[in-house]
Amino acid sequence: MSDKNKGLNRARQIYSNRSQRARELKAAGKKIIGYPCAYVPLEMLTALDLVAYQTCGDMKEPITEADRALPHSFCPVMRNCLDCALKNKNDFLDGMVTIHSCDPQEKTARVWESYTNYPYFHFIDMPISVRPEALEYFKSQLDDFRKTLEGFTGKKLSTDKINAAIKAHNRQRALVRELYELTKPSPPRISGTELVQVIKALTSLPVAEGNDLLTETLAEVRNRTEGPAKKSARLLIWSSTLDDADVMDVFEAKANVVMNESCGGIRAYRADVKSSADPLEGLANYYLNEITCARTFRQATLGETRKDYARDLRSRFGYLKGIITEWKINGAIMLLVRYCDPFAFEMPSLKDYFNTLGTPNTYIEYDYTTGALAPLRTRVEAFLETIS
Amino acid sequence: MVVQKEKKTINRLKSMYPLRAKVNETYLKSVEAIQAGKPAVWGMLNFYYGDPILKAMDIEVVYPENYGAIAAAMGVAQQYLDRADAEGFPTHLCGYSLTTLGYASRMMKELKGQIPPEAPLGGMPRPLFLMSSAAICDARYKWFQALGRYMDVPVWPLEAPLPGIKEFLIEGCYDRMVKLGVKNLRDFVTFVEGMVGRNMDWDRLDKTANLMIEVNRVWHEVNELRKARPCPMHSRDFWSAMPAALFLAGDLEDSLRLYQDMYKEVKDRVDNHVAAIPNEKYRLVFAELPPWHSLAFFDKLAERGWNFVIESVGYHPPIPIDLSKVSDPLERITKFSLQFLVGYYEEARKQNVLGGTTAYPYLKYAKEWKCDGALLHPLISCRSASTHLPYVSDMLTEKLKVPSLSIEGDIVDLRLFNPEEALAKAEPFEETMDHYKKMRKQAGFDW
Repeated sequence: MSDKNKGLNRARQIYSNRSQRARELKAAGKKIIGYPCAYVPLEMLTALDLVAYQTCGDMKEPITEADRALPHSFCPVMRNCLDCALKNKNDFLDGMVTIHSCDPQEKTARVWESYTNYPYFHFIDMPISVRPEALEYFKSQLDDFRKTLEGFTGKKLSTDKINAAIKAHNRQRALVRELYELTKPSPPRISGTELVQVIKALTSLPVAEGNDLLTETLAEVRNRTEGPAKKSARLLIWSSTLDDADVMDVFEAKANVVMNESCGGIRAYRADVKSSADPLEGLANYYLNEITCARTFRQATLGETRKDYARDLRSRFGYLKGIITEWKINGAIMLLVRYCDPFAFEMPSLKDYFNTLGTPNTYIEYDYTTGALAPLRTRVEAFLETIS
Repeated sequence: MVVQKEKKTINRLKSMYPLRAKVNETYLKSVEAIQAGKPAVWGMLNFYYGDPILKAMDIEVVYPENYGAIAAAMGVAQQYLDRADAEGFPTHLCGYSLTTLGYASRMMKELKGQIPPEAPLGGMPRPLFLMSSAAICDARYKWFQALGRYMDVPVWPLEAPLPGIKEFLIEGCYDRMVKLGVKNLRDFVTFVEGMVGRNMDWDRLDKTANLMIEVNRVWHEVNELRKARPCPMHSRDFWSAMPAALFLAGDLEDSLRLYQDMYKEVKDRVDNHVAAIPNEKYRLVFAELPPWHSLAFFDKLAERGWNFVIESVGYHPPIPIDLSKVSDPLERITKFSLQFLVGYYEEARKQNVLGGTTAYPYLKYAKEWKCDGALLHPLISCRSASTHLPYVSDMLTEKLKVPSLSIEGDIVDLRLFNPEEALAKAEPFEETMDHYKKMRKQAGFDW
């Protein structure tokens, strides 16, 4: 029998009460820094002994306060995040770090900073392309971030400290990948819902505690005799974010979600920060190049003067081919959070790519509210019928 | 709604018409260019960054954003929207982008590269390449990437750095933005040279950059004259005349002369107290993109004494900056373009209005152009032009006691804008403006 305070049980507890541990750490004298997006380099916070806490939305929370600051036709996830902040649900935060990963992040950051009063608030600008000059600029933005962090904490961000933090976060990435290895068998050893809970728990904990949680979870999952049941389909979900267990439950009612390619899943963990003489260079390269969010403009060859659509698709979505093969995916769902422009523009092209691979696929949109779950269930069931 | 007996209409500037004609001229030239074997490019509005490069290389540019507005105004957009929908693009995407995607699908899949016969102004010919921009919104580079489904033409993404107003003050930040901009532009020049098979004429680029800056300086001065009471120039004239400065449409030397003519006409009106509408009762600022398909709406409001004295920050020229000592034209162009993005930052920081590029200018407009109210036009399918509007409204009321009226609509889908319903809100809003006028007086404001 599993320990109720370890592994999956602990992940579930943290998922259900995300801020509890942050509040405990705050009471113990730690400083807690919020961040809304996977592009914020957490290593820099960890290196200064700051606790990084992802400020997520809450689908069950009706949006009331954010209405005065953001229009309705706007990313519902960010509206929800801001709403929670304006309702003081994050009152334990000592600061916020925001980033120009997409328009809604940038626009919300301005409003967030205007309507709240944290002791520390920093906005990191981020280029759209992976060109060398863009990388250099992004690195300089991280260096500016370093300066304000040092000013806030009164501590120096040394190379040793940041390298140690990179090592700890890379360890976390490797452990998450190990966990996803356990979805390869049929039936998978761990469900998509459990993975959502684990990943969300990680975004609520200091990296060392997260790594302990992952180590416990891996041992538990490897040794358990009762795992998820085998369902009719093995699904890949591609989305901006799928970080809510209720949403994942809808998919897993009749299928196994073996890959959650979103910011609530493997996306921020699929690669490592490479070691380099200048750690900020390694971080800049990882965050700009390696995270496969649709916000980044990618092309087959930098500055190409000829274009070939098939090559273009491979440069943008090629990483999915290996996933489909290795995880034996037989259905892909492109899940769009309404008003997410970077992902919305990708839909027809990604469909083309899935079609070239012969992977059955569908596009489903929802608005990040509990009211969307019933229609979502209908759409998922209809898709599963077509591929069964 | 009370209809006044006296008919009031907008008194259009004569000098506006030749500037407006430059849009039509641009489309016809691009079609002619293709027919003559010359290159034409589809460009995204890039705020003076990539355009001078293409201008100096004698490449015709058409702007799908602009074309989306034209297609909407001329009633042909709907078929392109329907087509984009059928292709699988979500309907809540930018209306301009959907129009372009539907247009490209029709041109490339159905007509084998021929311009659709129903396309207004001669249509957009098949481009040699696409010049996208990161400025202002995500759509403006993702949309051109999405066009790859229909045409195998390369895309160049122009970077547009945008730090926060506080972070911008960190030592060296501006210099690093310039460095990014110049390198990105230098590589763009190499890319364009490769695409057209000839080298940049750097003297010509130098001259083009200077002309662009001068055109926009004069255009800025024209708009400064609108601070006069009564205001001599209505927003409709602004929107009609802006493409020559904003998109560099047409010959720049000719444009400079035409803006100088406009300055003279507007100055003459100021000197003689001639208003853009017969009886200026209320002075308003408009944000952001107008309902292109229903511009007659403003004539109805003019009949009520509503004069739109300033508008659409994203379409306004940057605050003039002396770049005469910058010898490298690429650096001059970069700094001029950055001035659009961060030109208001210093003032915004002082006023603690963190929306430095989008929100703060409206406070400045309302204060310096002495506005009684703001008409906000949030768009269903253009989030970048809508997101900051609640914040703008909040700041205007809180800091300047200037009220806002929000009327939802869309840039392309005319079904989403109801002029009658909007006009019904005019009378109660006049009462609100009267009320806030008293509040401003009590608060010590001078208008």
